[in-house]
Amino acid sequence: MTDLRLSATQLERYSRHVIMDEVGPEGQARLLAGSVLVVGAGGLGSPVVQYLAAAGVGRLGIVDDDVVDRSNLQRQVIHADGDVGRPKVESAREFVDRLNPDVTVEPHELRLSADTIATLPDYDLVVDASDNFATRYLLNDYCALEGIPLVHGAIYRFEGQLTTFENDGDGPCYRCLFPEAPEPGTVPDCATTGVLGVLPGTVGCIQATEAVKLVLETGEPLTGRLLVYDAMDMRFDTVEVRQNPDCPLCGEEPTIESIHDVAYEGRCTLSAD
Amino acid sequence: MRVTVDVTGEGVHEIDLERLESASPTYADLLARIELSPHEVSVLVDGRPVPEDAPVEVEQITVLRLIKGG
Repeated sequence: MTDLRLSATQLERYSRHVIMDEVGPEGQARLLAGSVLVVGAGGLGSPVVQYLAAAGVGRLGIVDDDVVDRSNLQRQVIHADGDVGRPKVESAREFVDRLNPDVTVEPHELRLSADTIATLPDYDLVVDASDNFATRYLLNDYCALEGIPLVHGAIYRFEGQLTTFENDGDGPCYRCLFPEAPEPGTVPDCATTGVLGVLPGTVGCIQATEAVKLVLETGEPLTGRLLVYDAMDMRFDTVEVRQNPDCPLCGEEPTIESIHDVAYEGRCTLSAD
Repeated sequence: MRVTVDVTGEGVHEIDLERLESASPTYADLLARIELSPHEVSVLVDGRPVPEDAPVEVEQITVLRLIKGG
């Protein structure tokens, strides 16, 4: 059971949460007792980490195997010039330490795989702020099979996509939308096409919003809806997404029953062996 | 039959199936007409993806670009 007692310092720090009926001291205590795994400490991960830490999510796991590059700094706002060359998870941990002493950061400097994901501690939910299809499909499959809510976000030039997979058996998963990853090399990345620096800020903030709502168990998550943000025309479109009976993961006759069934490379399909 | 192709976030295209070369146009034929590859998008009908090689039988489709950046 969540300990509802907040210290005087916490009551002051979170006063704008505490005075709202939808959050209140109970909700803030729930956030402080909550845990979120953020996969990726880059463009999307930066605002996600920043706002979840500010909100007082008590335990933040951060996964990234990369180091800070100077070309990241145009959008990855938790890293600074002095962090260039340092592991992103360490830079992220120091950022959070400076921001909020209520938050414990668990840095995981590793590349997620079917083996390494099993070594991570449990978290209430996962935020996908990754930048590659192998990780996206692995996270989707793992969270769907384990029943862990997953907040998805992706960016491309001036466009962002977001949705939430609650993984409670009723809604769709990422494979319901995109059953297989594209052929390698057919979808460009930010390094190739560029990305508007502020774009991941907008998308990541919405991901953080979804994560906070899920921890609080309040509001309507983006389940069954894909939010598409076009920064150039300043438009938000919503696309209905339904559970796909032919989905290889959560359909009527699933072929993926374990993450160890799948080769998380290429098209992220069933292993040949 | 005239098909409305909504490429989410990018624009809407109206395509006459009779003007496509194939006698039984597929979703891949529609994508080719608007210069998209089936590798980079998912075609949705009523919120669910359809195979790219399936014949077009509806008047409204949604095309979602598959993006990976983070």
